[in-house]
Amino acid sequence: MSTLALALTFFLVANPVGMSPAILSMVKDYPFDRQKKIMLREGFIAFIIALFFQFCGELFLGMLKISDFALAYTGGSVLFLTALQMIFHKPEETHGPVLKQEPFIVPIATPLISGPGLMTMIMVTSRAEGNDFKITTAIVLAWIGVMTVFATAPYLQKLIGKRGLAAMEQVMGMILGLISVQMLVNGTKLFVKTLA
Amino acid sequence: MELINLSIILFLIMDPIGNISSFLNMVQGIPAERRRVIIIREMFIALIAMVVFNYLGEFIFNILSVSETTLRLTSGAILFLVAIKILFPSTDSLRANLPSGEPFVTPLAIPLIAGPALLATIMLFAHLETSQEAVLGAIFVAWIAAAAILFFAAPIQRTLGNNGLMACERLMGLILVMLAIQRFLEGIQQLVKSCQL
Repeated sequence: MSTLALALTFFLVANPVGMSPAILSMVKDYPFDRQKKIMLREGFIAFIIALFFQFCGELFLGMLKISDFALAYTGGSVLFLTALQMIFHKPEETHGPVLKQEPFIVPIATPLISGPGLMTMIMVTSRAEGNDFKITTAIVLAWIGVMTVFATAPYLQKLIGKRGLAAMEQVMGMILGLISVQMLVNGTKLFVKTLA
Repeated sequence: MELINLSIILFLIMDPIGNISSFLNMVQGIPAERRRVIIIREMFIALIAMVVFNYLGEFIFNILSVSETTLRLTSGAILFLVAIKILFPSTDSLRANLPSGEPFVTPLAIPLIAGPALLATIMLFAHLETSQEAVLGAIFVAWIAAAAILFFAAPIQRTLGNNGLMACERLMGLILVMLAIQRFLEGIQQLVKSCQL
């Protein structure tokens, strides 16, 4: 595959356009400037994670004896719990100060953007291509796209408004549920193959 | 498995980096010298618990007549829930509801360092490996690394900052979820295979 084709694949798998509304619903309670900062920060962390998996992914997973299905299940289960939180979100909840922590690394950077799908894809292609520079270039190109989407996404809420966002949280929770269960289904397929 | 793999897994489940902030919260207001005494004492208590489980594991196995499959499923499930609490902090989590005052045995030695997930893992390793000495070696390596990290908890927190520490905590939580799921699914693999006989 050419570098550009790889970059496009990575971009599509990371799926920033599809994820943005869901991410926006997660950060909707923060002031606008903070939202922009969170999204760019998470995008950057996701980039680091993608690079880490390109160079050390196989070593890391081999060291801990983690199989590909476990990777998929991890992403799926963490995302599914996030989706549940979004759907059954109680706004009047006033627990201690620990609650309402800003989303940090989990769940936006990983497993939403740099999810198990992207991690596996990066590891598989870097094994197939054997050209580190090419893959890194592709990741960088893909991330230029991701960051552009993320930089513009917070403006979307100006369009929808506060009430729209609150309604969107429910719908996006459902969508996120679908994404997470898809990860679990993919993981199950891989897992069942090992049983045969 | 080799010594290095065993020790890395044990080290990750001890999760000293993730425990730094709760440890520092616990010992707030206690002078630095006293803290060192506390760390060394608590780490030795944790070590004793680990070594005991390394040797007693097989005995517990027999007395309860549990199978290896059961142990995999159980330790996977416990580790999963512990790790999920790290990723989705709530007020009733292990780390949020710590009794104040100087830690003695609980909560630092058990369960923060030598928690149920770690003890179950040690039991599993002791059962799987040919010699318990191999596991003992891995326990020592992981324990020394964990002790060193807790010993330098305050400087590490200063260098990483609160955000850096939180990042480490989150990533560790995610790795723990991976380990837990891997363990659990291995258990299911074994279960399915034993049913096909």
